[in-house]
Amino acid sequence: MKRLLLALSFLAASSAAGAHSASDAYLTLSVTTESGADKATIHGQWDIALRDLDFVLKLDDDGDGQLTWGEVKHHQAAIEQYAYERLAFSGEPENPCSIKPARRLIDAHADGAYAALFFDVVCAHAPSSLTMNYTLFFSIDPSHRGIFVMHRGDNASTAVLSPQNAKITLASSSVK
Amino acid sequence: MPPAPLTSAPVPFRAPYLPASDAERLQEVPALADPAVGEMRRLRAGLDAAPQSLPAAIQLANAYIDYSRQIGDAHYAGYAEAVIAPWTSLTAPPASASLTLATILQYRHQFSDARELLQKTLRAEPRNGQAWLTLATLDMVQGDYAAAGKGCAQVANNAGLNLGLACVGNLRSYTGQAKQSLALLQQAVAAGARAAPAYQAWVHGLIAETAERLGDWPLAETHYRSALQLLPQDNFLLVAYADFLLDRGRPQEVVPLLADHAQSDTAFLRIALAKSALQSRDAGQYTWVMAARFEALKLRGSDYFGREEARFALQLQHDPQTSLELAMRNWQIQRAPWDARVLLEAALAARQPQAAAAVLDFLDATHLEDPIIVPLAQQLSAQLKNSSGVKQ
Repeated sequence: MKRLLLALSFLAASSAAGAHSASDAYLTLSVTTESGADKATIHGQWDIALRDLDFVLKLDDDGDGQLTWGEVKHHQAAIEQYAYERLAFSGEPENPCSIKPARRLIDAHADGAYAALFFDVVCAHAPSSLTMNYTLFFSIDPSHRGIFVMHRGDNASTAVLSPQNAKITLASSSVK
Repeated sequence: MPPAPLTSAPVPFRAPYLPASDAERLQEVPALADPAVGEMRRLRAGLDAAPQSLPAAIQLANAYIDYSRQIGDAHYAGYAEAVIAPWTSLTAPPASASLTLATILQYRHQFSDARELLQKTLRAEPRNGQAWLTLATLDMVQGDYAAAGKGCAQVANNAGLNLGLACVGNLRSYTGQAKQSLALLQQAVAAGARAAPAYQAWVHGLIAETAERLGDWPLAETHYRSALQLLPQDNFLLVAYADFLLDRGRPQEVVPLLADHAQSDTAFLRIALAKSALQSRDAGQYTWVMAARFEALKLRGSDYFGREEARFALQLQHDPQTSLELAMRNWQIQRAPWDARVLLEAALAARQPQAAAAVLDFLDATHLEDPIIVPLAQQLSAQLKNSSGVKQ
């Protein structure tokens, strides 16, 4: 047994020159402020790789190695529950924000199909600063990264969300 | 059921959509019929039943790492990291957990972090053969052959003569002793005839590479095929064999060979190269998707793709300058023969022989034998001499 493990580890070590893509999700927020109203709506799109979701939620019901739309639909509620438990927004004290799930579609990325979750972040009134806490997959894969883009008018800001950078504050004028 | 082969080019760009029918196939995922998947589930259940068990965690982590390597997908290396995190986050982590983490870091090309961890482990356990083995492999990837030689001696002392033989055999293929290397590796494969298929496949793969160093193409092909017979789905071996076929002018064999492995970025690059060599009508689409995959890696802050990206920039984007910059940065991190080759090819195409000086010195010092790399180096050396001769 010990020899076998050694040989296997030798193999793993010798594969250092390989190259491979790791787990990413794409989170995009667009801020719209209705003129005259003290109310901001933030529209979100969150693309999460189906193969990551399959690992945690076992979506492939028949186990044939092919995820179909029927199987994804069948687990849609579990997918949304899993995801939205791992994303939270808050405004200043006294200004609670919540996520309102909207449509769900499929998005094709270069490395495979993603569940595209659309949602709105609704706060009691326009927040002067918004804190986002992103913890998707970190407990099962610390190398997961959330590729974050925020659009506000013509401005776009980006961040890479990681276990070390899970909580970020989105100031009213910019995101750092 | 094996995954459906890639019959048409991937669709690179479309807006989020609602699939037309429930039967629409969206994504390939590990199939239950794959014995490796069953084994990982079994080990996961074992760990869930005994979450405090370090051996159970290490076994599961190793299964994940092995699968990651097999399918060329780093997700499972991340899962492995999470499995051992309760131990690696301790102030004094157990050696086995540190070693597993070092293997993961090495796989991700985080070489200096991996090295630090291995050295720390060896200070605590100087007779840990597995740690020596991993360190020697790291030294070879980074071109420190003196250190690798010492490491291989420690492997022989602490992990058995057979692994020591394979280690030295591997090393000599880089240092102008490819014939000796071949003899040692053939001894290692004969002595390990009853060893695990993974071990045998690995040694056959090394023999194939060494045969390539010597320009013995039939021997190389025989051993690539032997290795793939033992591990038919192994991404690392498939990609090495695909490179062999591309070099031999047989791109038409690459597309079916890798059809089921398009998920892996390294495999996908070889499919794109083959499509281009075949002047296939969908070659442009493959190039587009490959570019998008590199872009996604850049977004997440990964740059361990230097060698592959340099090759992509030169051969599919026809951008020698970018290729050269990527290859030079990559050379600071890893120095295997392919790393030398992409840099030399880029320097030639960009007409910047001086950019290859460090690689030419390295090749001079190590005496690498290779019927493709050596002529490239000679061409660039001649250009360097000419340009210094006409210097004003």
